[in-house]
Amino acid sequence: MKLVSRLKENWKFLMGWGLLLGSLSLVVMSFFALPIPRALWWLTGSLAAVGFAHYTFSQNLVVYVIKRILEAVFVIFVIASMTFLLLRVIPGGPFDTEKALPPEVIANIAAKYNLDAPLHRQYSDYMLGLLRGDLGESYKFLGRNVAQIVGEALPVSLQLGVYSLILAFMIGIPAGLFAASRHNSFADNATMILAISGVALPSFLIAPILIIVFAFWLNWFEVALWLGPEYYILPVVVLGTSPAAIIARLTRSSVLEVIRSDYIRTAKAKGLSHQVVLYKHVLKNSLIPVLTFSGPLVAGVLSGSFVVEQIFAIPGLGRHMVQSVTNRDYPLILGTTLVFSVMLVLANLVVDILYAYFDPRIKLS
Amino acid sequence: MPQFRWVDRLHIKFSLPLLILLPLLSSCTRERRLEYGLSLADTLRINIITEPPTLDWNRSTDTTSSLIQDNIMEGLIQYDLQDPDFKLLPALATEWSSNSDFTKWTFTLREGVKWNDGVEFKAQQVVDGWERLLNPKTASEYAYFLYSIKNARAYNEGSIKDFSEVGVRVDAEGRLVVELDQPKSYFPMLLTHSSTFPIRKDVIEKHGDRWTDPENIVTLGAYDLKIWDHDRAIVLERNENYYGDKAKIKNILAYMVNETSTALNLFDSGRLDSLHQLPSRELGHLKRRKEYRETGIMATYYFGFNTERPPMDDVRVRRAIVHGVDRKQVTDMLQGGQIPISNWIPPGMLGYEADVGLNFDVAEANRLLDEAGFKDRSTFPTLTLSFNTMEDHRRVAENIQAQLRRNLGISVELLNEEWKVYLRSLSTNPSHIYRLGWLADYPDPDNFMGIMTSFSDQNYTRWKNSRFDELIQQAVAEGDPAKRRVLYREAQRILTEEGAAVLPLYAQVNHLLVADRVQNYPVNRLARFIFRDVELK
Repeated sequence: MKLVSRLKENWKFLMGWGLLLGSLSLVVMSFFALPIPRALWWLTGSLAAVGFAHYTFSQNLVVYVIKRILEAVFVIFVIASMTFLLLRVIPGGPFDTEKALPPEVIANIAAKYNLDAPLHRQYSDYMLGLLRGDLGESYKFLGRNVAQIVGEALPVSLQLGVYSLILAFMIGIPAGLFAASRHNSFADNATMILAISGVALPSFLIAPILIIVFAFWLNWFEVALWLGPEYYILPVVVLGTSPAAIIARLTRSSVLEVIRSDYIRTAKAKGLSHQVVLYKHVLKNSLIPVLTFSGPLVAGVLSGSFVVEQIFAIPGLGRHMVQSVTNRDYPLILGTTLVFSVMLVLANLVVDILYAYFDPRIKLS
Repeated sequence: MPQFRWVDRLHIKFSLPLLILLPLLSSCTRERRLEYGLSLADTLRINIITEPPTLDWNRSTDTTSSLIQDNIMEGLIQYDLQDPDFKLLPALATEWSSNSDFTKWTFTLREGVKWNDGVEFKAQQVVDGWERLLNPKTASEYAYFLYSIKNARAYNEGSIKDFSEVGVRVDAEGRLVVELDQPKSYFPMLLTHSSTFPIRKDVIEKHGDRWTDPENIVTLGAYDLKIWDHDRAIVLERNENYYGDKAKIKNILAYMVNETSTALNLFDSGRLDSLHQLPSRELGHLKRRKEYRETGIMATYYFGFNTERPPMDDVRVRRAIVHGVDRKQVTDMLQGGQIPISNWIPPGMLGYEADVGLNFDVAEANRLLDEAGFKDRSTFPTLTLSFNTMEDHRRVAENIQAQLRRNLGISVELLNEEWKVYLRSLSTNPSHIYRLGWLADYPDPDNFMGIMTSFSDQNYTRWKNSRFDELIQQAVAEGDPAKRRVLYREAQRILTEEGAAVLPLYAQVNHLLVADRVQNYPVNRLARFIFRDVELK
């Protein structure tokens, strides 16, 4: 009985830790290319869902969330329509080839892919397909569904993106704290110079340097491909560098601001220990600007992954995103664009909601 | 603020061990074994650059797909890739012959050949393949490959519904009999191309679009398709029941790395055994490496003139521009061993004539421009030279621009467009001067000469010459190489000198790196990579 009541009292706490542990083990296991049991996915997923639902209900956010989701659906509809139309406007079609084709062949191809139908017909067919969850079939990769192509490439891009973001936060926040704690000292300046370089140096410059040093000279990591941890580290570092630098700068300035605020002075005057002041008051409040920035950051990491995927021959979505445009592979362009849009909209939604969680002054309604 | 010092300590406490641990962790997982359970000693690791768009040989059009198809399948006929003239050798057909005017061909097929599911190879499977290639529903881009067969074009167009009216059938002795609309002395060459390979209709009907998946596909070549890990790699395994000499290497692991410098890194770190494409900027020093190989290929790089857009409608202006360009300067700049050419057909092919075409001659160029009424060069309009966006094309275009300014005193403006936009502009309204290249589908001069006829879809110059058209048609119907050569010589003279519709620049070269442990690597002018005879040390 006692146990049950204790569980009841602490269920939020337990769930929070469960979610954290679950996600952490997912990340670690995928990093070391270990087989991940289905149950772990389910467990973590349902913990996240229950947590999210509880939070939404307890904060009276149900209407807000539904409103945001409807908005998102509308945004995605607009994106799909715009992309569809823009594709038909730009010159050059999917079957223009270096070796010009006889008109008979072109007619056969147009008929096969429904490209000879009037535009409004093609549009309505595509949209109806979307409603059914059918993204169509690639024009370039014959016999492969766009959903299938995206399904194979997206997990790779997500892996790359998530590792890089974790790395960015792991380096950026402590570095920012470190610099702030030694405000205006040599260490502070050195850290910030490093951070500025991190923002300024493009990934296509950092990557070759890291490859030469860590793959060719030291022989620690592999030069390219995506087959296991020794392959993951360099691209993750390259992709994570600039976000890490930005986060470090943001954390530093925001910690400096918070430290000077009245409530921190009050907390210290109450006689709280440094650690409590730091963890409970300074850090939590300093993270709000960092959190605000996380939405766009996710966008940056996902769209910036193309260069890194190219340099390290990573079979992710960035490659398809760019090459499908070169190939005028309409269904694949639309598919990748929609997937990116959905992820961005979702990331922003999650960030907005977390925002209210971290900063009680903010009211979402 | 000293009270925050603990952060430093925490930081160092955690990050230092982490920094040391990471490489250690990664090095213990770092054993030199290959993916997909392959062993290094009997696996050739190549880079095919991209994911093959399809392995369906009736529908593919690109070199990556055909590289794989050439190793898992076989046609009726194959080239002797060792022979400089690419003599034709028997493959699935053991003998072939034609009537005197090359309009009726008979192929005797090999007996006892089995597909890798045990089914016997039959002539009907060739007919099935051609029917499918030509069927409008297949919508194959290479359907035109067989347009010379009687009624094939009409069948592809849909005006004939019954395939039995098309000029291909199996006779009573099981031979394949083909009737052509027009004489074609090189018809057997078309049968080396993957689009004409036999198919297994039953397999395709059973699995639909997924028939090319490794678990479904049925082939009869020296290798079997074992694994197709999309966007990552393809694994081929030796076909132990192949009818001819078995492949020497058990497995081929083909990666899909599309950045040339990344592929070079993989080669340098011992992860690849060969590279078929090298970063062009690094050719200068790569050439000095012992793994370096190069071979001229049957591909040209040229500039075409829009002969309807003034002042390019004046043949004297076109000739002046050709005379005003020193091709050697371009190839020297590229450092890739490209061969300057003034005629139309590349070296190594019947009809290559080094002395046909207009040479670099500044005096003559200026005289022609004066004669055309541009004595005062300031009255000469600015020309537009267009190319598709790519680093190397820009380098060539800038070189030509500088040469024309220096040698002729005329100004040229450069216009680059993204590839598909560029193709659209070419077919609607080409610039004064446009860049293009041509790669032979098969090593017959007709493949090059045909594109400049007035009825060709590839001729963006809008230049038409009935004598030229006539010579090309005569040459196709001619079986004697010596006589064909004379015809092509005259046709090229009309195209490159009299009409000056094009500025041929150079014949292209393939640059490869092949690791030391590899022997007999296929380096040939057709750029066909058949790995049957490759060995590992």
